[in-house]
Amino acid sequence: MTATAERQMELTLPMVPDIEIAAARAAGNMARELGLSTELVDEMTSAIIEACINACEHSRSADNRIYVRCVGVSSDGNPRIDIWISDHGRGFDLTEVRARRQQFGALHKRGRGLQIIEAHMDEVEINSTPDGTTIHMVKYGKKS
Amino acid sequence: MTDELRLAVERRGNDGAILHTKGYINNVGGEEIATRAYELLDGGVRTLLLDLRETKIVNSIGISILIEIIEKAMERNGRVAFCCLTPVIHKTFHIMGLANYAKIFDSEESAIAELGLAA
Repeated sequence: MTATAERQMELTLPMVPDIEIAAARAAGNMARELGLSTELVDEMTSAIIEACINACEHSRSADNRIYVRCVGVSSDGNPRIDIWISDHGRGFDLTEVRARRQQFGALHKRGRGLQIIEAHMDEVEINSTPDGTTIHMVKYGKKS
Repeated sequence: MTDELRLAVERRGNDGAILHTKGYINNVGGEEIATRAYELLDGGVRTLLLDLRETKIVNSIGISILIEIIEKAMERNGRVAFCCLTPVIHKTFHIMGLANYAKIFDSEESAIAELGLAA
């Protein structure tokens, strides 16, 4: 028999300084409830922080909102957290951003956030159009 | 909402210093570190150790500022090192390439010994 726990959360956040911390803390609490280890929670929250910063810094969205959705499932002590971070901004060219981040140096700032997201999450899917951007991230974990 | 960055400076010898950070290294916190680091470099410091034991989050903007500090230190024949990183910050620094330009130590004691930061 499989024991399954599920949590869901949706947040609409204003684009104000340090709002990324609110999103990260809320998702982190949910992940801990589902049994994600501290190190994996820290990796996940680091990725959430970068996704929110990306929205605040680069989306130029008219509504100045970040939309966060988290769905967490734990089946027999094996948690999986899905997170979607969305904005209604103008989008960006993912290929261009990935090309820029290859170089070390202060002049090459853009792209580091996405690099952090991709390094810390198990799955990442980015959908960016002139109507907005959604970053869908997945983190798997073992029970702590 | 967040714990604002606090900094403590510890001078070591004629040309060394340790910067102890506490709190979130974002754009604001990063600029505070940069201001202090540049003051120290202008004052003759050539070995700068950043002790991050009380910092749990560094974002990508903060990392960009830390890279600027590393570059400015290198321009002046100085060096920057880090110690006491959380596992996620340690991993992030490696991903971002900081570890190629700045030494990373597990403890302040080992950093002091290897960098020759005499009291």
